[in-house]
Amino acid sequence: MITRGFSKPTERIEQLKARVVNSKPRVEAARATLVTEAYKETENLPIILRRAKALEKILGGLPVVIRPGELIVGSMTEADRSCQIYPEFSFDWVAKEFDTMSTRMADPFEISKETAKELAKDFEYWPGKTNFELATALMSEEAKNAQAKGLFTVGNYWYNGIGHVCVQYWKILKKGCIGVIADAVEAMKKLDHDAPDWRMKHQFYEAVVISFKAVIDYAKRHADKAEELAAAETNPTRKAELLQIAKNCRKVPANPSTNFYEACQAFWFVQLIMQLESNGHSISPGRFDQYMYPYYKMDQGITEDFAQELIDCLWIKMSDINKTRDAISDQAFAGYQCFQNLCVGGQTADGEDATNEISYMCMTACSHARLSAPSFSVRIHQNTPSEFLLRACEVVREGLGYPAMYNDEVIIPALMNRGVTLADARNYCIIGCVEPQCPGKTEGWHDAAFFNIAKVLEITLNNGKIGDDQIGPVTGDPCDFKCIEDVWKAYHKQMEYFVRLLAEADNCVDMAHAIRCPLPFQSALVDDCMAVGKSVQEGGAHYNFTGPQAFGIADSGDSMYALDQHVFVKKDITMKQLMDALHTNFGHGDTNCVCESENKDETEEQLYNAIKAILSSSGSIDISQLQKQLSSSASIPASGKVECNGDYETLRKMLDNTECYGNDNDEVDMFARRCGQIYAREVEKYKNPRGGQFQAGIYPVSANVLFGKDVLALPDGRLAHKPLADGVSPRAGKDVNGPTAAAMSVAKLDHEIASNGTLYNMKFMPASLAGETGLNNFSSVVRSYFDHKGMHVQFNVVDRATLLDAQKHPENYKDLIVRVAGYSANFVVLAKEVQDDIINRTEHVL
Amino acid sequence: MDTIDYGAEGIVFNLQRFSIHDGPGVRTIVFLKGCPLSCRWCSNPESQSRHPVVMYDPSSCLHCGRCIDACARGAINPANPYWIDRDKCGNCGKCAAVCPAGALVLKGKSMTVEEVIRELQKDETVFRRSGGGITLSGGEPLMQAKFSAELLKACHAHGWHTAVETTGYGSESDIRMMFPHLNLVLMDIKSYDRDRHIQNTGVSNEIILKNAELISRITQTVIRVPVIPGFNNGDREITNICKFAKTLHNVQTIHLLPYHTYGENKYSLLGREYGMPEISAPSEEEMQHLKELVEQQNFRCIIGG
Repeated sequence: MITRGFSKPTERIEQLKARVVNSKPRVEAARATLVTEAYKETENLPIILRRAKALEKILGGLPVVIRPGELIVGSMTEADRSCQIYPEFSFDWVAKEFDTMSTRMADPFEISKETAKELAKDFEYWPGKTNFELATALMSEEAKNAQAKGLFTVGNYWYNGIGHVCVQYWKILKKGCIGVIADAVEAMKKLDHDAPDWRMKHQFYEAVVISFKAVIDYAKRHADKAEELAAAETNPTRKAELLQIAKNCRKVPANPSTNFYEACQAFWFVQLIMQLESNGHSISPGRFDQYMYPYYKMDQGITEDFAQELIDCLWIKMSDINKTRDAISDQAFAGYQCFQNLCVGGQTADGEDATNEISYMCMTACSHARLSAPSFSVRIHQNTPSEFLLRACEVVREGLGYPAMYNDEVIIPALMNRGVTLADARNYCIIGCVEPQCPGKTEGWHDAAFFNIAKVLEITLNNGKIGDDQIGPVTGDPCDFKCIEDVWKAYHKQMEYFVRLLAEADNCVDMAHAIRCPLPFQSALVDDCMAVGKSVQEGGAHYNFTGPQAFGIADSGDSMYALDQHVFVKKDITMKQLMDALHTNFGHGDTNCVCESENKDETEEQLYNAIKAILSSSGSIDISQLQKQLSSSASIPASGKVECNGDYETLRKMLDNTECYGNDNDEVDMFARRCGQIYAREVEKYKNPRGGQFQAGIYPVSANVLFGKDVLALPDGRLAHKPLADGVSPRAGKDVNGPTAAAMSVAKLDHEIASNGTLYNMKFMPASLAGETGLNNFSSVVRSYFDHKGMHVQFNVVDRATLLDAQKHPENYKDLIVRVAGYSANFVVLAKEVQDDIINRTEHVL
Repeated sequence: MDTIDYGAEGIVFNLQRFSIHDGPGVRTIVFLKGCPLSCRWCSNPESQSRHPVVMYDPSSCLHCGRCIDACARGAINPANPYWIDRDKCGNCGKCAAVCPAGALVLKGKSMTVEEVIRELQKDETVFRRSGGGITLSGGEPLMQAKFSAELLKACHAHGWHTAVETTGYGSESDIRMMFPHLNLVLMDIKSYDRDRHIQNTGVSNEIILKNAELISRITQTVIRVPVIPGFNNGDREITNICKFAKTLHNVQTIHLLPYHTYGENKYSLLGREYGMPEISAPSEEEMQHLKELVEQQNFRCIIGG
């Protein structure tokens, strides 16, 4: 029944939450040492067995930790919110950051002298053996060069594991690890001994058996630990709790869960071990309300309050998961985020509304925990009860930055267009930031790359060149173009060329994972791996995709429109004038221009250093070339001290004042739509080595800030190196007709073809959402956006003054959570320029 | 059958989407030019004249001089702190058309009913989803009664809820032509005191008070009081307005709109002085107190509309 407002969390939850909020994340060496030992011991074995043995070693040797007050147990690290290292994927960057990781601007981690020493010793084993090095060896120089020039990056999976999956948690709840082992044994028996790949398949099942036995033993270590703590515990209440924990861990995840508490503990072990097997992020619980509900319903003994507390505990456990990435990736993913996306609501496989009591309890858990994990999503369809949507709006109004909202009416057909069955499409969940997949059946490779379509436009206007370097095909001097269609044609050709390199780079990394890092634990929980005897990484999943993300849609669309309007329609600027202006950054030279009086701050300096560090570590990129490109292309006066030329500034204002995407003007919006479509149609031409198709997404996480640095001046009046627009959102401050106009513009993009997900960030002032009327209006805007075929929307409900003050006094705002393109994070831990970007986004003040 | 003149023309100076304090649900406000009143606190001074007017924003100006060449009347004067010699300016908008920076803007343009409807249609879905619709505002929509009536008829033909924000200052025949096509009237009563009304708005309130009776009989009416410190924020003023509202037909709700200075900067953009003394917005406590007064008179009262 309809209630408003949220209850207070229990004291236990407050205490557990405080540990996370006040934690000082650090790096621990245990996993790295264990995996190194395991690899040394198994050099003669096939890779799938080595991986299983490595997991066995890790789960057998990792310290078991039960924190005060915990009801759900199992932690990656001894210290709160800390991380392990995964040298089998890549290690160079960790070694290079031993001294800087604790002070770097985004997501710092403490790293003690002893830990650094231990890791350095572990790393001695790895040169030449990592996934990263194999992928690098496979990739062509052209593809590497395009990445060094800022066209795209496949860095995420190049350096790290893949993650980005929702496994069959429900399988462990239903049949337990023992059931999975039984399935593997049964499958081994049924194998055709005469088949040529018999041994390969047999070894896959052996690997599954080793992995799941290790999981059972790992849970038992927790039971032992709980009993040990109980024996020493003087508080009778806590003693009873610890004994209950021990009982749970002896039963699950080995056996089927028979009540809600066991189901929660079993769920957590799966989530935790997924994080330990690989350092991929976005390991997403998916439709938690659907697979957990039966255990709540059958549980006669449980009170609603205790069930709520258990869910709250899981929310805090998810925030305790942490991973470190290289300095560059942490810029792009800023906010200690592991993107464990959990979604509620939506439809059943039969197409009926799927909301249940757990869906609502998850919303309450968000309000209780007020932490940045899990990434919380709600699915909305035409028959979603208004009560559910209003409750979701109420959570948004709490200022948490979530839930993000997804439109079933677009996502289901979008997935079906990619060959997913109707029932599977209706069962979709969200992975990571915004990526839909059918859970338990898909290897979506969702975060396959960031692709900078604004950079492609810049190169198009330079006839395929960056400076003097002919990096793309020769598509003609823009001054010879007669109409906008000529520009489109050239842009399309450049896009064709660079997307082809992108596909190549992705596929090289993909193959490296199959060869060096197959994951037996994960594979047993994704169909059809157990049926076909093959890991996910080798193509064992039922559905296989590769999803590279574009960003810079608004910048590209607005630039094309401004160019068309001024050069070809009104003819008040010649192409020559425009090109001269762009080449000189509108007379500003480099971003150090005196007019802007914007000093290159420390953050930026650090970033450049970090870029250099990471690129030099890969050994394949010419740093001097990169510097040249970052500081000034050959055609820009190198001094950076050019006086601002008044004519250029006038010209820039003319361009800047042209109508923009985001104001519900069909003519302009269609330019943005076309840019997105050109990219998406190129991407979907390609196949991956797992037998699946490429599918485009349009979202940036926070890469729009980082990669904006690689893009020179654009015809929309944007100066060189400034941030690009985020996701499918209009350019910052350019949507001047209010939230409905902006939303309608965004809805005009072809979201269905961008089936790997799109991301729209909408900012509301708290005042506009006040009271019952505010909630109703808010939900109407969401419904209307979805009626017009918007795919995803998320919200920032904060005011500018608060954010500015938080920049000055971060210590006072530790629980201030905001969405940064695709997820929410503690505002105060974000890099300053990401903070600035958030502040500058249009506020829809009423 | 009542025909609609889609070709009727009016002078519109803004279409504001996602408006949520101007009638139920999410609405688009159509701001019309021209007002018979000249309230000292007016926050839309660009609306007062019937005709389009040029606004100049020095902070965006590049001083490129294109407007000087474009102006046939020689009204652009860089020596004038407001850039334009208003006595020479004919508000033709030629300067705004050539301004690359958007520093010069012509406020107000002639639009047909059809053109306005096409813009309103863009938020049709959100009207339906939120129970919203369109609100005419201004200026005073009665100044363009014929256009307003045609536009409202067209909105009803589209199934949209219609509302107006009005001073009630107009002829009885215009009211009878326009108001039957409204679902809701938000009518300002600024003061019950005739002399104070004249002093502060430039017109007497006699016509307004008389029309209020007629309007409330035609359409569901809410009385709105802009609470201006030093003018009408006294207990007696507010009580008098409430007592008057009781004499009207079926008025149940009174909105108290606290004074604000969001419009102050527009005066200098128009080359004018802001006529209000420096006063601050009424405090929350003061508004609460007045709200209680209104409620004592058995009205539903909302602060801020």
